[in-house]
Amino acid sequence: MTREQLPSTNRGWSSGMLATEDWWAVWIGLAIFAASLASLGGADLVGWMARPRPWEWTDLTRAFAWSKLFAPAGAGYASWHPLAAFAATYAIFTALFAFGARSLRLGVRRFVKGFTVLFVVTWAAWIAGNELHLTMVDAAVDGRNRYSDAALSWGLQLGEGAPYLLALIAGLAIGNFAKEFAAKHLGEAARPEWYIKTAIVFLGVNLGAQTMEASGFAGELILTGAAATFVAYLFFWPIVYTAARRMFGFKRDVAAVLASGISVCGASAAIATAGAIRAKPIIPVTVSMVVVIFAMLELIVLPGAYTAFAPDQPIVNGAALGMTVKTDGADAAAGALLDELMIARNLQLTGQQWQDGWILSASLLTKIWIDVFIGVWAFVLAIVWIRKVEKRGGAVRIGPMEIWFRFPKFVLGYFLAWGVFFAIATSWPALAPTLDAGTAVVQSPMRTMLFMLTFVAMGAMTDFSKLKGMGKIALLYGLALVVVIAPIAYAVAYLFHRGLTPPLVTP
Amino acid sequence: MSARELVLSFERERWRAYGDGVDIAHRHLRGLETLIEERLASEAPVDVHLKFNMAALPRWLHQYQNHYCNYTLHVPVRSGRP
Repeated sequence: MTREQLPSTNRGWSSGMLATEDWWAVWIGLAIFAASLASLGGADLVGWMARPRPWEWTDLTRAFAWSKLFAPAGAGYASWHPLAAFAATYAIFTALFAFGARSLRLGVRRFVKGFTVLFVVTWAAWIAGNELHLTMVDAAVDGRNRYSDAALSWGLQLGEGAPYLLALIAGLAIGNFAKEFAAKHLGEAARPEWYIKTAIVFLGVNLGAQTMEASGFAGELILTGAAATFVAYLFFWPIVYTAARRMFGFKRDVAAVLASGISVCGASAAIATAGAIRAKPIIPVTVSMVVVIFAMLELIVLPGAYTAFAPDQPIVNGAALGMTVKTDGADAAAGALLDELMIARNLQLTGQQWQDGWILSASLLTKIWIDVFIGVWAFVLAIVWIRKVEKRGGAVRIGPMEIWFRFPKFVLGYFLAWGVFFAIATSWPALAPTLDAGTAVVQSPMRTMLFMLTFVAMGAMTDFSKLKGMGKIALLYGLALVVVIAPIAYAVAYLFHRGLTPPLVTP
Repeated sequence: MSARELVLSFERERWRAYGDGVDIAHRHLRGLETLIEERLASEAPVDVHLKFNMAALPRWLHQYQNHYCNYTLHVPVRSGRP
């Protein structure tokens, strides 16, 4: 029996703690967060992280310097050569993820090779995306127009969304025009869910900082996110299930798996539902392939569309995205892109700059609540299926531990990071500024880099040609998305969040 | 009541249950459960805990959900006995 074929069954509450991406996202995320907390004792253990800088190409070609492109993020590391910071960033993140990959029984050499390619593409997109002609917005902020200051003759004015778009384009180019290379060299490391879940643990630190700044707003986002759960499970699911059965003639098990994949939380829900009703694994495999491709289409279309059509409804757009886009990776990536595009657009239109992260939080908190309940939903569905559909209640029994096995563990890391930040800041208010400054590297460049890595990895594993032959399933997905999910999600988000805007950046 | 534990898998279009001296397969899960009942039924009822082996799912899917299903199959006493 090879390493890949070794049984990996969930037997007890601690199963998989060292053997699943989900748990390793928690360990890596919390380990880096813990290192950043050393700042409370005066030590900066994370300032080695490299951070891209805004640059302009004529200026760079006139007098090239690495320091114009990126620099160490921590003030204590300012004397480091930029390439030393880049090397440290590569070495430390590669080591952390390779260590995790070893526990996941992946081929470590192949993982490191693939990770290295993704890392280089990520950084190339990140650096290129910080060129001023792509990012700079023509607007006066606090009486100063940096677009005019830079004397730009033209600009796309995409704000910080530009690097994300470049990362997405680069990933999709690899996934669709270099398929053999992607399959042979990147398969082991193209794990967008692992990277995004680690980034989401970092976002817990952001949520802590946001809660300190506007606790009422953060609380409202959390509560309304919980309300969205009912929409996904009690509105979307029955509608899509009924459509799959009545309009498309799918069998019960296929319809149930499709309904979960399309309306709840994507591939994760499709697998959980298929397991709950004990469907043949080929069903969730097929549905998941379609979900991943449609999630990419949603990621490409929705952030730009929402920004264009409703530039004054940032939180509505974020929450609607959270209910509409499936898979954690695509939802968080779409939320991050929407966050940056909306901030840039609002700056163009009003000259006011919203704080970043709030629109992303609106999207993510909505999605996280939906994720949390997938275990409960699958458990209920399993009982209904055994008793009412298969009518085998006396012969087959499902244990409540199934809820825990299906619980998304990265959520624990997210809320733990938030809770620790919030507890320290509220228990020792004098330490709050040091805490915020010390964890700033985790909140911004580290989190952004993992988002960028997610964009590239998602693109690299998305092959649009796989939609061929998926006829009825793809048609149902498209119809459900356009006719049911997107409109209802937007209406519900509008009901809860209309008029809400993020706090403004203070000078 | 005694208890047994088997690993459940899906390979080459067939459900498979193995471990504890048992290795049987069937195209349908219901058919596999009937085979398990025939194989493990004894003088006393038996609870058979089936734990799904995630290695049966493609590796790329594990990042989305790392659990498929576990369940308990209640095997009654062998027919013809009290």
